[in-house]
Amino acid sequence: MSGASAKSMLRSPFILIVGTVLTWFIAAFLVWPNLNVLLATFFPDGSFSGRAAEKLFSSQRAMKSLGNSFLLAVALSVTVNVVGIFIVLVTHYFKIRGSRILFLGYASTFIYGGIVLAAGYKFIYGDKGIVTALLLKVFPGMDAAWFSGFFAVLVVMTFATTTNHMLFVANALKGVDYQTIEAAKNLGASDWTILRKVVLPMLKPTLFAVTILSFLTGLGALSAPQVLGGRDFQTITPMILTFTNSPTSRDLAALLAVILGVATILMLAVMTRLEKGGTYYSVSKVSSALQKQQITNPAANAAVHVIAYLLFAVYSLPVLLIVLYSFADGAAIQTGQLSPGSLTLDNYTRVLTQEAGLRPFIISVIYSALAAVIAVGGLLFVARLLQKYRNWVSSLFEYLLHIPWILPSALLALGLIISYDHPNPLVGGAVLTGTTVILLIAFVTVKIPFTLRMLKASFASVNSSLEEAAAIMGAKTLYVFRRVLLPLVLPAAAAIAALNFNSMLDDYDTAIFLAHPLVQPLGLVIKANTDGAEGVEGVANTFVYTVLLMVITGLTMYLVYGRSSRRGAKGKRARALPAATAPAAGPSLTEVTGTKEPSAPLR
Amino acid sequence: MIRLDNIEVTFGDFVAIPNLDLHVKPGEFFTLLGPSGCGKTTALRTLAGFIEPSGGTVHVDGKNVTRLPSDKRQVGMVFQNYALFPSMSVWENIAFGLRVRKEKSAETDHLVRDIARRVELSDEQLHKNVAELSGGQQQRVAVARALVLRPKILLLDEPLSNLDAKLRHQLRQQLKDLQSEFGITTVYVTHDQDEALAMSDRVAVFNKGVVEQVGTPQSIYDDAATEFVCNFIGDSSPLTPEFIAELNRLSGAELSPAANSYLRVEKASLTPPANGGDAVGLSGKVVSRTYHGLHSRYIVRSHGADLRLLVKEDGAAHPEAGAETTVYVQPRHVLQYHADTGKALERQDQAVVLP
Repeated sequence: MSGASAKSMLRSPFILIVGTVLTWFIAAFLVWPNLNVLLATFFPDGSFSGRAAEKLFSSQRAMKSLGNSFLLAVALSVTVNVVGIFIVLVTHYFKIRGSRILFLGYASTFIYGGIVLAAGYKFIYGDKGIVTALLLKVFPGMDAAWFSGFFAVLVVMTFATTTNHMLFVANALKGVDYQTIEAAKNLGASDWTILRKVVLPMLKPTLFAVTILSFLTGLGALSAPQVLGGRDFQTITPMILTFTNSPTSRDLAALLAVILGVATILMLAVMTRLEKGGTYYSVSKVSSALQKQQITNPAANAAVHVIAYLLFAVYSLPVLLIVLYSFADGAAIQTGQLSPGSLTLDNYTRVLTQEAGLRPFIISVIYSALAAVIAVGGLLFVARLLQKYRNWVSSLFEYLLHIPWILPSALLALGLIISYDHPNPLVGGAVLTGTTVILLIAFVTVKIPFTLRMLKASFASVNSSLEEAAAIMGAKTLYVFRRVLLPLVLPAAAAIAALNFNSMLDDYDTAIFLAHPLVQPLGLVIKANTDGAEGVEGVANTFVYTVLLMVITGLTMYLVYGRSSRRGAKGKRARALPAATAPAAGPSLTEVTGTKEPSAPLR
Repeated sequence: MIRLDNIEVTFGDFVAIPNLDLHVKPGEFFTLLGPSGCGKTTALRTLAGFIEPSGGTVHVDGKNVTRLPSDKRQVGMVFQNYALFPSMSVWENIAFGLRVRKEKSAETDHLVRDIARRVELSDEQLHKNVAELSGGQQQRVAVARALVLRPKILLLDEPLSNLDAKLRHQLRQQLKDLQSEFGITTVYVTHDQDEALAMSDRVAVFNKGVVEQVGTPQSIYDDAATEFVCNFIGDSSPLTPEFIAELNRLSGAELSPAANSYLRVEKASLTPPANGGDAVGLSGKVVSRTYHGLHSRYIVRSHGADLRLLVKEDGAAHPEAGAETTVYVQPRHVLQYHADTGKALERQDQAVVLP
């Protein structure tokens, strides 16, 4: 790291070129679109206007969606913590029989999230769902649409959002010094007192962070309310989408997006403040590894086991049924009745060989691969420069590049739409809205903070004496970068690209705003299938897509983490990404700042 | 006060402690000393009630506590990392056990302030977060938290091992003073022989789960009962049979050349000892000399043995590497151990020439 001044840094021609390109990118795609949303909302004709606010207050639909979003955000913050803390405790803190199996079930949301998960729950529990069909046979009088509205959205989002707990709270729990638990036991504290007074308080900062993330996820929810909310339960983001598609209501969409953005920034500020409020980490220089605790009360132990396995069923059932029904024929899918004879590979053959089935998959793969490579490739130089030079210019660039983490993706998408729906000098007078490029730009943009953070960490982990050794032998900066640093960082860069690729493969939230009507990625097709657009064949296709996505995601996670941790376990040199830490201030709605980027959280 | 009888501790197939007997007297500062992995912490944790032995009994003050949980044994413990609760203030940390016991608020506050005063923690420090305290202050909080419940025994698990050398020396004395003030029976675990010798009334030296020797610091140092204790405590040079034979020839002693023999570094010198005694001079050659300020460390090769010794730096000229010299040794200072069992030869055995 160097503390070189901004002046000396800007003397390098290479840095000047990178800086100029970066400045253009930040101005064109990070700053101007969001500024433009503000201008469109409050200065539609060049002078201040409160008309958008008046329209919002007079629109019952919009106001209701605002109320629903905050209701969902608050409720989700509670439910996801209850479920999340419970599953972390039963997999990492208490001695529970079969905890490894339980972990696999709870971790299914790592490879199965976003629109795919919402669609999966609808296909299983929705009015035409497999489980609902079976229930109707037992209870003919029951409401077929029982799994819809606020309840369904909350349930689905709760189980989808516990991924953050599995990553960050579990990681924080592992950091608890076991000697503090022994000390509390020695001082006479019961199991419950130790958990309540010693262990959970040490998890506070992580719990604050995941609570804020859950709140923001609920606030910006899109696919879950769209798929399961029904007519009565719509939230802000679906409303932004609706108003965006109507040219006369775009100011309303912009105002809702601004409200979402302000709420997000406020919550992140609260999180940062709370984090500064106290010391929760172990003060020990060397901590003892946590040992699992036996629940001494037999009744409590039995109850915890029962609830743990019930939750396991809730997590696993949709995944198992989707895998099973991806092999089923149309009749079996419609009636919910499976027989060995109805299981074939026909659905896979159709999706993988017919143009209509394969097309959305290929579109998503191309978009995701391009965006992943561009983000990582473009940021390799930037990350290195920001890691090497620490001054006000580099800090400013770094803050600006984190904008996509601060603002909701709906606001970013809307900003791009209204900024580039007319010839704009920032992009050489081109019109981007409605083209295939704009979605790619958005994909690259939302991946910047995660990619930058990870690449910077990778560069920081390279022993600085290697660079100094090369420099002492006369190697120039670029040569050192190309021949010394790049080969060392490349495995991590490939892993980051793979994670980026994964998270965009089933994207819905960005694509719904920006996708070209004739170039529809997978997320949009899956959503259309949940609405019954393609009939039972569409449902079967979605099952196949879901299984393929789970396989790809699982494989990527294994390649990125599984292999490296196995190598590490054998004592060989492993180039794993830095360990997952508590999400710091500045996470986005769609991703968290940890290293493991799960399948896109449900929105 | 404390009695461990026939204690056996196993972890799966691994036997950490095969058969341990230890008796600690009331008010004693008793140290379990040994290298890493020797079983000393396992023994302490068995006494604390964190490990249930697979055999044997633990008695505290005459009561069998083998199957009792930690908090029912009336033992207070200071952990290696202090194990202070990071989310609580100093006051809350000390009060934790009292609150668990549901002591009245006023009484809790009184007891916390009283113990804080005795371990020299100020009122201002009581309201700080534990992370704001120095290592020494954190240690005092950990001691106060353990002592506020008035335990019969205080257990200390390497509480100085994570501190720098200067602070370690300072806190060593503070701990000893606190123990003396409270008069509490204390069992202390350490791998640092200096610490054990300086602080303890008695020391038990552990090796591979077995107690090699129990005794006062001086008896352990001067009369190491086993070859392991001799090597682990202090700094000794191994002697060769040729050296012993020459020593016997010059002094008329009857040391066993077949035994494993050692000489403490301070028991050899390059000048005749002032008190004379039965010292004899053996010819040798200086292999190396390392200057350490107050003294120089020498390695002198004599009759096949590389003798390490210390020479005080008093301004006088001393031989350099390569110089011929004479090493003065008293036969009674030679420590001898049975080559097979590693046990010390009795004085009368030393006259016996082993096969």
